[in-house]
Amino acid sequence: MRWAAVIAIAVLLALPAVLGSYAITVFIFIFFYAFLGQAWNIIGGYAGQLSVGHAAFVGLGAYTSAMLSIHAGLTPWIGMLVGGVVSAALGALIGYLGFRFGLRGFYFVLLTVAFAEIFRIIALNTDWVGGAQGLYITFTGDPRQFQFQDNRVYYYVSLGLMLLATGVVAWIERHRFGAYLVAIREDENACEALGVDTFRYKMLAIVVSAFLTGIGGTFYAFYLFSLQPNSVFGIPLSVEIVIRPIVGGSGTILGPILGSFILSPLAELSRTYFSQGGWTGMHLIVYGALLIGVVLFLPQGAYPALRRLLLRVRG
Amino acid sequence: MSERNDPKTLHRRTFLRTAGAVAGTVALGFPAVLRAQAPTVKIGVIHGVTGPLAEPGQACRLGAQMAAEAINAAGGIKSLGGAKLELLLGDTQSKPDVARTEAERLINAGAQLLQGPFSSGDAAAMVPVVQQRRVPFLIDIAAADPITANVAKAVREGQQKVQYVYRNFPTGTMFGQLAVRYFNAIFEEAGVSPKRVVLMYANDLFGQSQSRGFQAAHKAAKPGWDIVEVIPWPEPPSDLSTEVSRAKAARPDIIAPITRPASAQLLLPELAKQRVDIMGVVGPGSPGLYEAGQIAVLKEHLEYVMDSVPWPNFKNPRTRAVADEYAKRSGGKTFDTNSGYSYDGMLVIADALERAKSTDPDVVVDAIKKTRFTGHLMVSAGPVVFNEIGDNPNASTALIQILGQKPVVVWPKEAAQQKAVFPRPKR
Amino acid sequence: MDAALIGQGLLSGLLFGGVYSLMAVGLTLIFGVMRVVNFAHGDMMVWGMYLAWMLATRLGVDPYAGFVLCAGGLFVVGFVVQRTLVDRIVDAPHEMQILLMLGVALVLENAALVAFGPDPQRVRSALTASTLWLGPIFVDVGRLVTFGLAVLLTGALYLFLARTPLGRSVRAAADNPYGALVIGTDVRRVYAVAFGIGAACVGAAGALVSPILPFQPAGGLSLSVASFNIVIIGGMGSLLGAFVGGLLVSVAESMGAVFLAPSMKELVSFSLLIAILLFRPAGLFGKGSA
Repeated sequence: MRWAAVIAIAVLLALPAVLGSYAITVFIFIFFYAFLGQAWNIIGGYAGQLSVGHAAFVGLGAYTSAMLSIHAGLTPWIGMLVGGVVSAALGALIGYLGFRFGLRGFYFVLLTVAFAEIFRIIALNTDWVGGAQGLYITFTGDPRQFQFQDNRVYYYVSLGLMLLATGVVAWIERHRFGAYLVAIREDENACEALGVDTFRYKMLAIVVSAFLTGIGGTFYAFYLFSLQPNSVFGIPLSVEIVIRPIVGGSGTILGPILGSFILSPLAELSRTYFSQGGWTGMHLIVYGALLIGVVLFLPQGAYPALRRLLLRVRG
Repeated sequence: MSERNDPKTLHRRTFLRTAGAVAGTVALGFPAVLRAQAPTVKIGVIHGVTGPLAEPGQACRLGAQMAAEAINAAGGIKSLGGAKLELLLGDTQSKPDVARTEAERLINAGAQLLQGPFSSGDAAAMVPVVQQRRVPFLIDIAAADPITANVAKAVREGQQKVQYVYRNFPTGTMFGQLAVRYFNAIFEEAGVSPKRVVLMYANDLFGQSQSRGFQAAHKAAKPGWDIVEVIPWPEPPSDLSTEVSRAKAARPDIIAPITRPASAQLLLPELAKQRVDIMGVVGPGSPGLYEAGQIAVLKEHLEYVMDSVPWPNFKNPRTRAVADEYAKRSGGKTFDTNSGYSYDGMLVIADALERAKSTDPDVVVDAIKKTRFTGHLMVSAGPVVFNEIGDNPNASTALIQILGQKPVVVWPKEAAQQKAVFPRPKR
Repeated sequence: MDAALIGQGLLSGLLFGGVYSLMAVGLTLIFGVMRVVNFAHGDMMVWGMYLAWMLATRLGVDPYAGFVLCAGGLFVVGFVVQRTLVDRIVDAPHEMQILLMLGVALVLENAALVAFGPDPQRVRSALTASTLWLGPIFVDVGRLVTFGLAVLLTGALYLFLARTPLGRSVRAAADNPYGALVIGTDVRRVYAVAFGIGAACVGAAGALVSPILPFQPAGGLSLSVASFNIVIIGGMGSLLGAFVGGLLVSVAESMGAVFLAPSMKELVSFSLLIAILLFRPAGLFGKGSA
């Protein structure tokens, strides 16, 4: 397993040498969404607290570092940490409210959706942060401003983010913290009865998850060069974040990565094949049908299915 | 497949090979006449044709396609040996990340220029791609001021060498100034002096930028009328009855709405139902008040409504011919702001290629900068030119009014097809 | 602040709330019985609107009569979706159900885009043009009728669940699926019927609102989110809660449009949602705790 990981990382490190800019862009989004999915995985997968409001953390992190860069000239390399901390604080607030008041399942889903929507509406109505027009970042290609003339640098940055989040998850999985989170997901009441301070561990999980997601916000801002409330706080982004780990297998370390490697190419292929001609929208019907197919045929996600398959081959 | 922009590209070896190869066959979606002939210039046309802004996005796509076909039918780019324009189509889904990927995909498939999109967030995400890969990019709509200005700034400050981004659509600031001027002209022509204007707008990117431009221009011009109440609504709205009650309570003489098609369908009937007693509805740059589909749905509610919008110059017979064909191909839609500017955008690209006599990006950019194009179909203050930040300062609007269930130009005088009916007759 | 404006806002909000109620009743029924969160709810509603539009424009059927057919059409859609898709993942983790319904939503939205194009539509009905005036306050007749029909439909659904054998088995399955299984109920059929009825409710709501609210293919998401809010505020699984919640949210948003910048009015319902989640997570009419 360890060897497989080393080989995979070596391959990914070497790939840009042979990839074109389009393929590199596809990989960048595979890594970036795998990173966001991995961050979500901590609270949504391992701890089983479904958040469909993670866009709030992306947006807050993105707006924080973009505002600091535009108005105070602070480099996004530091701004991204500030954004992460601000998002973590929001995570703590949402977590405190949600866990203190015992919101579980769909109730927690809606609490997170509501927070993201509230941020979206406030940003839309606040001229100070650009309102609906949003913020626009000048593309200079200056590395000190987290901008790169060469797309391949973004590739390594996003790969680094994905490996960072995966490293964090691997650490969690190997420590008592991870075991507690899984126990909370499986049976929170039993876990409490055994004397585990579930509130504390859930809080820790959402804060770490929000911090990492907030860092991702800076990448979003400085790779896409503008922020609008509807795109960074909107429900569609939250959905993008959750579907990859779910497809790959939530609560598994490889789930978000696998999900991202499955879904992004599928989205590209369906758009390439089906977005021509008069049937506008066909490619999203195909993509939607593929999502349905994944649920029906891999109801636990891709990774658990893959692992079963590998075990069967071996044994 | 052209790899001219990135010599190190060897994507055929990757496991994404299929995706790349498929991208190259995009051309199969086009009429056989275009495919059979060489040489061609490939132009990536990227709009959000699905998602919340699918309506304007599809109009833009069709406008660009029709212009390219017209250019090809007239012999293509003559200075390039009659090269035909071959369009590669992209869909942003109104998502900036998809916009960026689509730009890369089409450039990878050989696009030598890009045109599009409607949404400003999408355009901003495409800017670094064209700057990195040196692909001239003509923005046909996306109206947020900073998109071009930021690139110009980076070039001025030496952080970027060449500006590859240009725009032929008016910015929010221009819209506001023209609207205030037209309001005054119409009031004066009618010999009335309305005092109280209520500004109502969809609180999305376009509505907010238009309302800001309008209010700023009003402040600067200090006309004899006041904006007594400003009422933004969340877009898309589920209900506007309370907003209209609030507007009514402000005792307006004029309602100045900036809608989207869906919110116009809510707003106008509501104004009638609540019997808001006004001289007229005059939009300071609003979609939703003139499209054929809107007229079909709203009927009498749109009669006498005025709007200051970028508009095709129907005094030009070519415009009328294009509009007829557009109606046929779109299932009866009006050739208007979005389709018109995308159509003009393709003409501007063809003009630049013609003068460049080359598809080398820097040569094309030089040609774009020197543009003085007079073959445009839209009402304009002069030929299409690009200023130091890459915007077209002659992009203009016309004041149109729905008369007899058809939009007609009523101002400026030189483009006017009829005299405005204002104040509107009492019902 | 103008008293007439406040009165008008209250009345307009209340009458519009009927639609919200009906749409939320459908969602709460599906959730109550199956514990499945229907992320495609708003998109089903949009299809209800398009069905009403086709009936009106092709066959000249007024939506105030055509809503019955739309409800029927959506019943079939709901029944089929449940039988072929949802039924296979009732026991899967929550997140898989969400993913499934997101996929269904994507298919429904873009199928509407392919079928009807992106332009917003609105059904014309003679009723929606007429108004009654009570002094300075006006009553929108179309909304009044919509409101009345929404009350009637919710009442009818309540009677169905309380009085008919099939309705009782739906309720039994909602309360205790294993118990229902033990006493010999065909739980799968009951589930499909419940999903069908939930879809029929939202189909009827779509048809009834089609003369009032313009619709386009991408409109489903915001309708879904509005339905979720209402259902949580009213109490998940409670018919009465969904009904009252719909009225409450609509009136609150209307008051938001009176007292705040109207573009902030959605903030009112989301704030209400958070307050309810924190202080009464079972909702106004829900039983027990979350």
